[in-house]
Amino acid sequence: MSYKISEKTRAKIDELRKIYPQKEAVLIPALHEMQKEAGWVSEDAIDALSACLGLPYARVKGVVTFYTMFNRAPVGKYHLQVCRNISCHSMGAPRILSHLKEKLRIAEGETTEDGLFTLSTVECLGSCGTAPVIAVNEKYHENMSVEKTDMLLRELGLQQ
Amino acid sequence: MPKITIDGKTIDLPAGATILQAAQALGIYIPRYCYHPALSVSGTCRMCAVEVDKAPKLQIACATEIADGMIARTDTAAVKKARKDVLEFLLANHPVDCPICDQAGECSLQDYYMDYGLHKSRVAPEDKIQRSKHRAAGRYLVLDNERCILCTRCVRFCDEVTKTNELTVSGRSDASFIDIREGKSLDNDYSLNIAELCPVGAFTSRDFRFKQRVWFLKRIKSVCTGCAAGCNIEVHYNENTVYRLMPSPNPETNTWLCDRGRMTYKALQAGDRLRKAFVKKGSMEIEPAIRHAAHLLDEAARKTGPESVVVLGSPYLSIEDNLALAELAATSLKTSNLCLDFPREQGVKDGILINKDDAPDANGLKLLKARYAGLDQGALIELINSGRIKLIVAEARALSSLKEKLRELSNIETVILAVTKSDLDFESACVLPYAANFETEGHFVNYKGLLQKTTPSVAAPDGVKPLWTVLSKLSSCTGAPIRLEDAAELRERISEFIK
Ligand code: SF4
Ligand code: SF4
Ligand code: FES
Ligand code: FES
Repeated sequence: MSYKISEKTRAKIDELRKIYPQKEAVLIPALHEMQKEAGWVSEDAIDALSACLGLPYARVKGVVTFYTMFNRAPVGKYHLQVCRNISCHSMGAPRILSHLKEKLRIAEGETTEDGLFTLSTVECLGSCGTAPVIAVNEKYHENMSVEKTDMLLRELGLQQ
Repeated sequence: MPKITIDGKTIDLPAGATILQAAQALGIYIPRYCYHPALSVSGTCRMCAVEVDKAPKLQIACATEIADGMIARTDTAAVKKARKDVLEFLLANHPVDCPICDQAGECSLQDYYMDYGLHKSRVAPEDKIQRSKHRAAGRYLVLDNERCILCTRCVRFCDEVTKTNELTVSGRSDASFIDIREGKSLDNDYSLNIAELCPVGAFTSRDFRFKQRVWFLKRIKSVCTGCAAGCNIEVHYNENTVYRLMPSPNPETNTWLCDRGRMTYKALQAGDRLRKAFVKKGSMEIEPAIRHAAHLLDEAARKTGPESVVVLGSPYLSIEDNLALAELAATSLKTSNLCLDFPREQGVKDGILINKDDAPDANGLKLLKARYAGLDQGALIELINSGRIKLIVAEARALSSLKEKLRELSNIETVILAVTKSDLDFESACVLPYAANFETEGHFVNYKGLLQKTTPSVAAPDGVKPLWTVLSKLSSCTGAPIRLEDAAELRERISEFIK
């Protein structure tokens, strides 16, 4: 197992365990901490966390893969997350998504060669009132359109 | 106790019972996928939704506890529509490859579709999300994720029963699937139960797949003789071939079966199944071989006296067969060298089912020992090692179990009784085959002292007879018959042991 949970993260996990008597409940905040540090959650990281919490690998894996917030591979500088759920879908998310694919010349789940952009689709971002929504890393860009998406890409430094 | 009325029928049940259990008790069937009586309730499939008075929407019967005065309905338009809708969701991405699916005939998806679905698909085949097609998922299982309806029974089985946690649901919504860690497989000792509890054709048995359409199978209840647990089984067979074993749940013995137990039927068709006798390693018809064995017995008795012959009982044999062995010693050979003493360590080995004792009938043997006494095992070993013994009559596994303690068997002649060659791990002057436990009735006493019997489902190979018949013939050839000519005589003689 090559991944080691850092002292700092381990200390945070210990704190979390005091708040949550159920080990399962610690999973999500602990995964956030680990992702903050490494940028993604690797197989080794899943092993490390399952050993640390005393939960089966399968339990941790299920949680990691359920939530689109956890990256299963390293991501680019800007992680473009297009909401694909109902409200965004009906407000035009599919068009924005295909536009992004075209512009960035990558498919869902891929990263541009320069390492600048990763494109993925995610489930409801909880901002249905301002659909369609794209989250760039942690920041929401609301009421998006194809035009606004182009502006966004330019701001983020897409070379044309 | 709370009283609940379902579809106009009323029942009292202890608090904590669910609507589904109450319906079951009333004889009202509620369709279900994720619910399984031996697993925790997960409530994921929504197939069991029913109408409950005063509840704003349908409730799932498997997870809703009954309350006093509750009125539920399973036959309303809303319930029917809900079932249809659930089925439409479950089938949305399903490949509908039923004609080539081995679950057909016992698939809840197929059955419920015919009963409650009958909708036209609104998803074109090319729009369906494809999951991975079949692949080996362990020694005994194939997993076809495309057909999975995500009921999580398999996941819960591995979490709750075997506690081996091999499985998880990975991903989310229509991208979710049953996942096994990369490079790992599902190899716990009870894995075949998963093929059985999977309600659809997602997990199927590698052993049973495509061997037989289930509607051709006949079923008969019997007992597994793979260890001292004495699990109750249902033998599925057709045209004189056993195709699979399923549990026949009995609160006294088992809900599940272990994989090894499920595979015990393989001995019947095994390549090394003994269909003929062996004399000095040469194959021989059974009848002349029995005469030859009788000749060996006579010779030994004539040359060195009856006390130079030993007969062993066996914890692997039924009461019937052990009785015949005991009688062979007492009546025919008139030797006091009979050993029925096979102390075995018993108890559940893994906290689930499998017993520390892999012999099914050590306790039945004790009943015979109480009646026939005979030598203690220690005395027997000493006697054999003293060099005074010239001939041993024994069932193969019983003798093997003593092998370590015995010096050189090579100067002792043996008449060995065996079902397959793999049971033989030593050379023998004469090997006589006999019918396996799927081919004959036999009584066994499990580790808890429960007396049970096997029921024959298929016929033994031509000329192969139950062991008690073989021994009865053998005794007739020696001129002092033990008189176990037919089943009626046998029943009479074992009656004192199977009260
Ligand atoms: S594989 Fe079978 S048992 Fe497991 S979740 Fe899918 S349908 Fe249910
Ligand atoms: S636990 Fe023993 S009796 Fe039960 S199925 Fe397995 S081998 Fe047969
Ligand atoms: S559906 Fe996109 S934010 Fe809710
Ligand atoms: S059986 Fe009740 S929700 Fe699945």
